[in-house]
Amino acid sequence: MNRNVTPTHWRSLAERDGAADSQHAEPHGRNVAGVSRRQFLEAAGFTLSLVAVSGCGRAPTITALPFAVQPEGVVPGRMQQYASICSGCTASCGLLVGVRDGRPLKMEGMPEHPLSRGGLCAVGQALPLGLYDSQRFTQPLADGQAAAWDDVDRQIQKRVGELADNGGAVRFVTPTVSSPTLRAMIGKFLEPFENGRHVTFDPVSSSAILDAHEQTHGRRVLPHYRLENAHVIVSCGADFLGTWIAPVEFTAAWRTRRVPSEENPRMSYHVQLEGRLSLTGSNADRRYRVSPAEYGNVLGHLATSIASRAGQSPPPGTPGSLPIPESDLADLADRLWKARGESVVLCDSQDVAVQLLVNYINHTLGNYGTTLDLQRPSLQRQGSDAEVLALLDELRAGEVSALFVAGTDLTHNLFDRAALAEAIGQVPLVVSFAERQDDFAPLAHFVCPDHHPLESWTDAEPVRGLFSLSQPTLRPLGDTRSILESLGRWSGHPDTAYGLLQSTWKGTIQPQVAPESSFVDFWDRAVHDGFVEAAAEEIATPEFKTDDVKLVDFEPADDFTLVLYSKVGMTDSRHAHNPWLQELPDPVTKVTWDNYVCVSPTTATELGVSDGDVVRVEAETGFQVELPVLVQPGQHDRVLAMALGYGVPGTDRFANIGPQWFEARPTVAPGQPVGRNVAGFITAANNQLQYVRKGIRVASTGRHHPLASTQEHHSLRVPASVAPQGAEVRDVVQDTTLAAFERDPRAGAPAVHHHSETQLWPEDHPPTTHAWGMVIDLNKCTGCSACLIACQAENNVPVVGKDEVRRQREMHWIRLDRYYSGDDDDLSVAHQPMMCQHCGNAPCETVCPVLATVHSDEGLNEQAYNRCVGTRYCANNCPYKVRRFNWFKYERHDVLQNLILNPDVTVRTRGVMEKCSMCVQRIEEGKIAAAQRGEPVVDGDIKTACQQSCPAQAIVFGDLNDASSAVHVARGGPRTYRVLDEMNFRTSVSYQRVVRNRDGVEQGGDKHV
Amino acid sequence: MSDATLRPPLVTGDKSIADVTRDICAPMERRPTAMWWSAFALAFTALVVGIAAVWYQIATGIGTWGLNKTVGWAFDITNFVFWVGIGHAGTLISAVLFLFRQKWRTAVNRSAEAMTLFAVMCAGIFPLIHMGRPWLAYWMMPYPNTRGPLWVNFKSPLLWDVFAISTYLLISAVFWYVGLIPDLATIRDRAASGWKKRITSFLALGWNGSARTWLRYETVYLLLAGLATPLVFSVHTIVSMDFATSVIPGWHTTIFPPYFVAGAIFSGLAMVLTLMIIARKVMNLENYITLTHIERMCKLMLSMGCIVGLAYGTEFFTAAYSGNGYEQFVFKNRALGPFAWAYWTMVSCNVLIPQLLWFRKLRTTLPVVFVIVVFVNVGMWFERFVIIVTSLHRDFLPSSWADYAPTTIEVATFIGSFGLFFTCFLIFCRLAPVIAIAEVKGAAHLKKQSAHDTNTKEAAA
Repeated sequence: MNRNVTPTHWRSLAERDGAADSQHAEPHGRNVAGVSRRQFLEAAGFTLSLVAVSGCGRAPTITALPFAVQPEGVVPGRMQQYASICSGCTASCGLLVGVRDGRPLKMEGMPEHPLSRGGLCAVGQALPLGLYDSQRFTQPLADGQAAAWDDVDRQIQKRVGELADNGGAVRFVTPTVSSPTLRAMIGKFLEPFENGRHVTFDPVSSSAILDAHEQTHGRRVLPHYRLENAHVIVSCGADFLGTWIAPVEFTAAWRTRRVPSEENPRMSYHVQLEGRLSLTGSNADRRYRVSPAEYGNVLGHLATSIASRAGQSPPPGTPGSLPIPESDLADLADRLWKARGESVVLCDSQDVAVQLLVNYINHTLGNYGTTLDLQRPSLQRQGSDAEVLALLDELRAGEVSALFVAGTDLTHNLFDRAALAEAIGQVPLVVSFAERQDDFAPLAHFVCPDHHPLESWTDAEPVRGLFSLSQPTLRPLGDTRSILESLGRWSGHPDTAYGLLQSTWKGTIQPQVAPESSFVDFWDRAVHDGFVEAAAEEIATPEFKTDDVKLVDFEPADDFTLVLYSKVGMTDSRHAHNPWLQELPDPVTKVTWDNYVCVSPTTATELGVSDGDVVRVEAETGFQVELPVLVQPGQHDRVLAMALGYGVPGTDRFANIGPQWFEARPTVAPGQPVGRNVAGFITAANNQLQYVRKGIRVASTGRHHPLASTQEHHSLRVPASVAPQGAEVRDVVQDTTLAAFERDPRAGAPAVHHHSETQLWPEDHPPTTHAWGMVIDLNKCTGCSACLIACQAENNVPVVGKDEVRRQREMHWIRLDRYYSGDDDDLSVAHQPMMCQHCGNAPCETVCPVLATVHSDEGLNEQAYNRCVGTRYCANNCPYKVRRFNWFKYERHDVLQNLILNPDVTVRTRGVMEKCSMCVQRIEEGKIAAAQRGEPVVDGDIKTACQQSCPAQAIVFGDLNDASSAVHVARGGPRTYRVLDEMNFRTSVSYQRVVRNRDGVEQGGDKHV
Repeated sequence: MSDATLRPPLVTGDKSIADVTRDICAPMERRPTAMWWSAFALAFTALVVGIAAVWYQIATGIGTWGLNKTVGWAFDITNFVFWVGIGHAGTLISAVLFLFRQKWRTAVNRSAEAMTLFAVMCAGIFPLIHMGRPWLAYWMMPYPNTRGPLWVNFKSPLLWDVFAISTYLLISAVFWYVGLIPDLATIRDRAASGWKKRITSFLALGWNGSARTWLRYETVYLLLAGLATPLVFSVHTIVSMDFATSVIPGWHTTIFPPYFVAGAIFSGLAMVLTLMIIARKVMNLENYITLTHIERMCKLMLSMGCIVGLAYGTEFFTAAYSGNGYEQFVFKNRALGPFAWAYWTMVSCNVLIPQLLWFRKLRTTLPVVFVIVVFVNVGMWFERFVIIVTSLHRDFLPSSWADYAPTTIEVATFIGSFGLFFTCFLIFCRLAPVIAIAEVKGAAHLKKQSAHDTNTKEAAA
């Protein structure tokens, strides 16, 4: 506590907080020094009437106990941040949990974390909403009935004891366990059993990569991809910026090479070959439409070309026909060869033969050791599909005596659900650790609900030698129990999760990291920092074995090839109960609240379907699903794509989410889940789970299921029938090529520059102190939509439901605009976060009849919700259409979720306008903190919510009046422009032009064909 | 012009002064006809539907309308401008034509003024209910308050609207009432003692028909006409500024004030004609609202229709000449985009169909005129819809382009506004003379004695 700067006596919080800052001495313009007789009487009268009023009724008895001992540094009402680990996926990014008055509210990226580097994705940001979910289990279940922990423990222990004696097969299924303690505890638990095995089942598995490395390097490892070292990136289907393995980490690394400057006009070259249009593909410099069935052919040809450049003989065999132009392949090989040691080839194929080719190419290019790290491999995907398939066989044969499933929904995420459920029904002991009722839990004899990650102690080791700690941020809401404790109790090591964690850290981690310091110091530092790093251990680089690498002819399919993918924001079924993520527009399709079949425009025409027409997709085995169509530009004509993680049981809870009125349509039909589960299309081949399936038939059903998309027009090119000559393309997103940028850093600016700094009138409110502004680098922005959820969490943005989104009334303050250009074969995509631009000459301000939207003297366009009467004139007059109107009173669907509300931000009522405030509450907080320190606000101290978590660090915010601030510098950069600058709105938000690493120098909109 | 006798008589049927009084007062003095009752039942039902819709909307939220984050106004402001426009003919006929000494106006001015009043009432409802929080509508008024320095925004055209519409309503009401005073005295004199007499005595303000009363009355009426005349131009000019002062292409245009005024008069005349053609038939007033009146109204309407057509063309020319891509896009999009059907409905109804009025034969064929004016009413509603919705739905950033379709509640509210209008008008027909008795007497050449009286005398002799 800064005792020395806090005045001894203060009359108001503002005075206490701001006393030291001359700028802030009178934050609200009220002079509190002299109290006149009149003011005294007013105050006295008010006090008296309050006393009278409060005396009128019997006040409820409230016991508010203050902290007996105030926790150090905790100030009631003030946000306190704790270092922790994101549990949204197995990437285990570092994060800071913002806790206020005992409630975790806001997830922020941890800037010091070596992998995520301050970024946090949409899923991570949405975690606390899952915590405040009234449908989580609040106590253990035995045979579907609520039970007490003691009873459950006794019964499980008894059965487990019998199993240890009679040698039955015990299988413990989890997704990749990044927690060393949990790994150890599972090991301990399985120890007594003769036939006990831990099966790692990743709902979306990368097992082929590990298996391929076992063949080429002799170790079953997942390399740690170091994209920050990669100058040329070739990705076959791997959506590494969206969902593949560790997207935040990869984005953070990828962006470091995407910033060409005047001094150093260099940037990485990123080629994506893929069947569907992924978020990563949408950010590539060059994108080829290749069916996933043909990745092997492309890689085979590439391997041959690289081998010939390296003077080696190519691997044996002949690859199939090349689906891309040969000259392009040669160019690609040249670029890779030129950047050897500084390039990387990635592939998400689950075919080991394909992954062997990838390893061969990476090895020949000398990328192991630079862009692919095997010394400290990644532990983010450990799933072994061979084990999973073996387990399935055992289950079918009735050989399993006990099945424990934690962290995943076994039946929902696998094919052949009915048979699997039946087989599980035969297992004598089935235990689930599910958080809430999922597909698997009803099959379990015992459900031992695990804590929400925000309620429990745990740890993680995402990359060998990097250990992170996660600490509980509130007392568990229900009578749940950490899986560590459950396992400890059943295996005869009853202890708290905290105790178990400490013993692992004391026993195995401290010796690796800091053997000489005391454990208390080590532990305190680890808890405070959230992570510790061990020195790299020397492991001899294994010999590369080329024996198994062969060129194979991967025959393209004549009928449709189906790609199953996971969606950004809905990685797998675990987050299906999170309404923020359900309403998050997919970064590419912009559709909310559904999954669908993506088909190419050509295929849609062939099938005679358009967006929302329901088709029946059928596999050779007869498994079929009916889903609406989404016409996806840039998709391969023979490829269909469907998202996994939908159709989750219990999501029918969302039927009545959003406003209810007589024309409202329910978000999902009563009793129906959100979307449909398509895991039934997963197949097993060569001991791998396959997410690509050939031989798919598709037929229109003639029904229609409207999709709720937040964007209806998808191009900056206006429709030809209404396009005026010379204005066919709008320069809202400006782009250029690297070749043009090298010649002229201002390349890509519109030919005619209308804007003038001359003003007709003096400014109403010149920002003399601060002028808050923002610059967004569109070349870094991947469109991942993390900012959107960050904003939603920070600013209490409501969820409105599918019908309202369909009516174009979503409430998100940030809209991720996505524009296509070019044709399907060479599609360019631009992402543009669009929020209130805080215009200096704001069109909204002049038209409000009641002065509800006004300009601050710090350059912000402010909205006074209380004053707003809701004429919507400001929204009509907003050229960026970023204002959001409260059409209804948006009540929270789940009352418990009111706990997520940020007390710093007003919850808006029905009938008022709202919009991006540039996180004015954070600005004020930063100013107060600076004033308390008696210093001016330092650049970088204040971060908006969207900026804080941006994995690409594409957003710079700060004071434009401060000539040394990052935002001021960025604003003056050659790539910086303002949207609709010619209209002279004088926006505070600027954008930096997209630079695509291409050779052509054609400019502006001409290439948007 | 010099010889008024060459003009067709304003009152036909060889009426005396007493006949005029008797004929015009007749509908008020007899019991309502079945036709009146059925019309009233229809209008009142529509009104009830509208009230239910508005009640539901205020209880539930503006979300019950089809608006979205891109199209923030549609039916609401379309209806508002539509009704304000209709209100314009009243003031034009009573004030402007009065100042120009157009005597033929006497047959239609009373009902036109009443129509103005009711139309402005209908119009006023929409800005009120279109607010997100209509219960705070009084915040639009600049009144001293205890909320510190909070004040209204005098830069906002919506505020100008508040003043313009309230002024207009006030002046129209006063003008209408002042014009009614001599006729109220007539009703008073004809009424037997009872509540009707007492009320009309009060409202007639002690009218005694003396030369001095007439002198004062005429002076006041002239002054009010002078005062009301600028309003004909100012009100719709200000309404047009709701759009013209914005930055949205298709709205931001300097042609709007004259264009809107012409459009308003055009739609007002169409509505007056619609009502007059029905009223003269239903209330047996063929001798007072003659084909001459209708023909002159048609000529006025034709001229306004041509001005409106010119404005449509000018907008396209301005857009083409501006070199502004956004502006050009909006107009191309209007004519060829998703709302092209609305645009071409508007052009057909407002520009093409009224061209039939060049033919005298058609101008004097009542069914034809009736059909044309109904088309003009429809077309003028679409004009406002086109301006508002097509400009908003596709503006600067293609990502936020959106569609618009009305909901049941919006359509019901629109129907309700017609219900309110016709309910008021039908009640007015029962309570006040639909033709200004005193003015008709002054303007027409009438016999001193009625045919009825002469016949009685002859019979007696």
